[in-house]
Amino acid sequence: MSRSGTAGYDMSIIFSPQGKLYQIEYAFKAIKTGGLTSVGIRGKDCVVVATQKKIPDKLIDPKSVTSLYKLTDYIGCVQTGIVPDSKSQASRAIQECSSFHHKFGYQIPPNVLAKRMADIAQLSTQHASARPLGVAMILIGIDDELGPQLFKVDPAGVYTGYKATAAGEKEQESTNFLEKKFKSNPQLSKDETIQMAISTLQSVLGADLKSSDLEIGICTMDNRKFVIMTDEDIDSQLTKLAERD
Amino acid sequence: MSSVGSGYDLYVSTYSPDGKLFQVDYANKAVENSGTLVAIRAKDGVVLGVEKLVPSKMLCSGSNRRVHHIDTHVGVAIAGFLADARQLITRARNEAKNYKSTYGQPIPIKVLSQRIASFNHMHTLYGSVRPFGCSIAITGIDQYGPQLFLVEPSGSCVGYFGASLGKGKQAAKNELEKIKFSEMTCREAIKEVSRIIYSVHDEVKDKDFELELGWISTETNNVHQIVPKELHDEAEAYAKQSLEDANM
Repeated sequence: MSRSGTAGYDMSIIFSPQGKLYQIEYAFKAIKTGGLTSVGIRGKDCVVVATQKKIPDKLIDPKSVTSLYKLTDYIGCVQTGIVPDSKSQASRAIQECSSFHHKFGYQIPPNVLAKRMADIAQLSTQHASARPLGVAMILIGIDDELGPQLFKVDPAGVYTGYKATAAGEKEQESTNFLEKKFKSNPQLSKDETIQMAISTLQSVLGADLKSSDLEIGICTMDNRKFVIMTDEDIDSQLTKLAERD
Repeated sequence: MSSVGSGYDLYVSTYSPDGKLFQVDYANKAVENSGTLVAIRAKDGVVLGVEKLVPSKMLCSGSNRRVHHIDTHVGVAIAGFLADARQLITRARNEAKNYKSTYGQPIPIKVLSQRIASFNHMHTLYGSVRPFGCSIAITGIDQYGPQLFLVEPSGSCVGYFGASLGKGKQAAKNELEKIKFSEMTCREAIKEVSRIIYSVHDEVKDKDFELELGWISTETNNVHQIVPKELHDEAEAYAKQSLEDANM
């Protein structure tokens, strides 16, 4: 199928006559090529990111594969999309956090980091030299003044704060699922938030998940640090979820 | 769907309408055309084996080496364009040297692999460069034990228990899946790697090949070396024997 409508306006970062940036749209499609789905959910006093862990090849050492990144002790993120691009973006985010701390003497707040990463992403939407990275970053942290925070940064250079969000292959289905659940504006406890994340993934993937299929990271108001849940903790949440149903 | 190039495959800085980077896919094809590489992470070390295809009888044996040392505790093997790989090897050697100079300790294998992966990744971002047409298997022993990583043209870096690259990749992979890595020693792994390479070698399409073997284990005092002649000959004999037994 030849895209005569785009006719050369989609080869690099230039506007089409309709005012679209096709390369950015294609970058969004690239996020889905990773084949994974992630969700982020903000509870009353905690915030959670969860993603699929798919290791199809049993020759791979599972410890070497992860989509969750600890950016500082207090901010973590899940990167969905092209894996090498996510490592590159995570690496840059860690540098930005570190440089902020060095310059200003305190830990970078999540919204400031989100804005900074979005500004960096925006550069490749305007300069044709480097392509946009095919990654969506969902970052979480506890802000000293504002409480639990959840942001998503995308290749277009847009960052938004969310109550709940999703990224990846089943982004649309996950978002629909979460919109229904959040209609009543629930105030979720820590367990409820984690279980909501797990049940969202289970629902859109159409399968029961084991702890080896999941990666979950959490920040709570009590322990402000970003913690990646162990398999045992994930298992206990899965059991509680099954009992509840 | 534009799944065949058609203009989106000219620069690596251009996404196709499906969100693919064709130049990276094409770089992977360059790797697939090279001689088979097999690596096994055993319980006491790591073994690398390469099917080095010899296109002409005029070549001196041992030329166009595909197994290289990066530091005393790190060794690599390459699949794909040897010239591109030379760049990566030089880069890896510099990284290892600078790390030692800055931090006072030998570079952890994971760190080195991630740095080479980031270097590869950088060449997938700009229209003025092309991705490297080679994958490298990085092996070594550090404070975390024996490690094996594969770094690909896309910049992906993944740890493996057993890995294969090149022409016979799929066939080698099927053989590797039968192995119990946690129970195998390096000496046994050398034999297995040789056997797998001999079994995936295509006698019809490629005539001559040299088997290159490298290893690092507690037996070598955690120093990466080319496998000594006696072990090498023993492994080749075992491999040839297994091939005969299989054909009978």
